[in-house]
Amino acid sequence: MAITSGTSSHSTASHSPATHGASTLGATPRPEAPKPSGLVYLGLGGLAVVAFIIFWITGVSGNILLIPLGFVTLWAPLYPVIGLAVMLLTLLVCFRARTNTMGAFGALAFIIMSYWAGSTVNFTLLEIPERWSNVEPRLMAFLDPNWSYIWTVRDQWLITLSMAVVATLIGCAIGLVLAMFASPVSSPNKGVSQAIKAVNSVIRSIPDVGWALLFVAFIGGTAHGLGPMAGVLALLMFNIGIVAKLLSETIDSVNPGPVEAADAAGANLTQRNRLAILPQVLPGFVSYGLYVFELNIRASAALGIVGVGGIGSAMMLQLNRFAFENVAAILIALIIVVLLVDMFSMYIRRKLL
Amino acid sequence: MITFENIDVVYPNGFKGLSNVNLQINKGEFVAIVGLSGAGKSTLIRTINGLVPFTSGTLTVGDDVVDPRSKAKLRRLRSRVGMIFQSFNLVTRISVLNNVLVGRSAETPTWRSLLGWYRAEDKELAFQSLERVGIVDKAYMRASSLSGGQQQRVAIARVLAQDPEVILADEPVASLDPPTAHKVMRDLRRIQQELGITTIVNMHHLDLARSYADRIIGMRAGEVVFDGPVEEATDAIIEEVYQRSLTAEDIVASDSATQGTVTSAAAQD
Ligand SMILES: Nc1ncnc2c1ncn2[C@@H]1O[C@H](COP(=O)(O)OP(=O)(O)OP(=O)(O)O)[C@@H](O)[C@H]1O
Ligand SMILES: [Mg+2]
Repeated sequence: MAITSGTSSHSTASHSPATHGASTLGATPRPEAPKPSGLVYLGLGGLAVVAFIIFWITGVSGNILLIPLGFVTLWAPLYPVIGLAVMLLTLLVCFRARTNTMGAFGALAFIIMSYWAGSTVNFTLLEIPERWSNVEPRLMAFLDPNWSYIWTVRDQWLITLSMAVVATLIGCAIGLVLAMFASPVSSPNKGVSQAIKAVNSVIRSIPDVGWALLFVAFIGGTAHGLGPMAGVLALLMFNIGIVAKLLSETIDSVNPGPVEAADAAGANLTQRNRLAILPQVLPGFVSYGLYVFELNIRASAALGIVGVGGIGSAMMLQLNRFAFENVAAILIALIIVVLLVDMFSMYIRRKLL
Repeated sequence: MITFENIDVVYPNGFKGLSNVNLQINKGEFVAIVGLSGAGKSTLIRTINGLVPFTSGTLTVGDDVVDPRSKAKLRRLRSRVGMIFQSFNLVTRISVLNNVLVGRSAETPTWRSLLGWYRAEDKELAFQSLERVGIVDKAYMRASSLSGGQQQRVAIARVLAQDPEVILADEPVASLDPPTAHKVMRDLRRIQQELGITTIVNMHHLDLARSYADRIIGMRAGEVVFDGPVEEATDAIIEEVYQRSLTAEDIVASDSATQGTVTSAAAQD
């Protein structure tokens, strides 16, 4: 019978490597590692040279590198030459390590981008020593915080915490609904998913301070006693943007099996999202919620500057009075609170997941 | 009764999944579909509950003509047609009972599903379904903590909770070891006989098809090339369906091999 003979030959074949594997190790020829294409690397080298020329033309630094060769002295702009050297060295290392061409291109792009971005904003660490006389007295005040001040702003802390809690809870709830509509896996159709994604991009493109300014302008800030209201709304928009984005991406990658099973059982869209998708993304959802809560505490310090109340406005007040020792106290308390929130969220995550 | 009349399935990319399938599957029958990988077994089974929409022909399930374009009609159809999958497709993070209750979705108001607040009679039905597959005691355990065979039984209970007229199973035992595969097939067979549910099972393994089905349908390249009772599906006929000679991969294990390992399998249960 064909089946029986098939069985025996199958079992011998599967046993053979185990029986005489050890004695023959090293005998089988190794396949050649795929060589990266030299032509592509040549192209990348060309790209490096083009970048060098652009750096040279657009560069503003007057530093010149002189290369005396005896009969003639070559000169070149210092920083672009350093950049070119770094680029070529990187390509050489990538070529030797047989990095695939996409990886080498990525490395090159990274160098070009950081050179370009750094030169645009004149980023250099050289200025700090020059301005030391200005930095020093403030630094001394920061190193000697006014501890007794911390307790006097406890009401502001409470407002900040409440703002963060309310904004997180409501923001997560709305973010969850938006995420369900945004991911093609859980949305009613592609059109809805695209539309919600577009709305979400707009929400996220406005930074938290931007939202705060908008709401302060529309409904009034601390001056009208409405600071916290504007702050909660600003944080809310900020949270919705983050949670909807992260969660919809998590939904994109859920295991489709249970979703199909719920469909096959005749569940409607809401039921299938609730029963098959929500349990799968719940750990992520909780993490994102805790994460935005932490962001909210930190953000509320910055938002105080535009007048939305909470600890940020207390800090702003002290800054305007040049009371650096009080500002320092607030900053240190902020660090401690953020650390506590971080520990708290780690604890919850461990318990839940 | 399920009837296929000149059913064609053309996938969105233009690939023809089924061509001119004509079939009649009687109420309460246990049908095994065999064929090589890519023959269109899954396509055939998924056409029945509309997971794959057919593109021409007429398909009736019971008294209803299947209309793949109407979502509401499809949902009603699917509530009467349960489906079992190769990879069980349980929500692993929730309890066994909640997984089984997913099968009650079509009969449960949406707000109850949202709150997870099921009616007592639905829960009782879920418990009875678990009882039929012998794992009531696992009801409140996380689905992920069960063995493969137990998870597939939860999936069967989920289908039973639908109180279905038809059970579709797409390679239900392909990811189980031979003794467990036999047990799950025995469960399916017993349920089909006790409740008179029409059961259609895709199989890779010829011996399983022969031991548990009444009727075998052979498929090749999207067409039904054999259809007859198990006795007619001889090796020669199946080799004709597969267009190659049978090999060891076509069988799971003989029954005697299963008998020999019954005790150890019982221990791991
Ligand atoms: N969504 C799809 N789009 C395009 N072609 C598909 C799609 N699903 C399946 N096919 C093709 O249809 C043919 C039949 O697939 P089907 O899944 O029905 O095979 P099968 O008999 O179940 O195989 P297996 O035993 O591997 O599960 C295959 O050639 C497959 O590539
Ligand atoms: Mg298949």
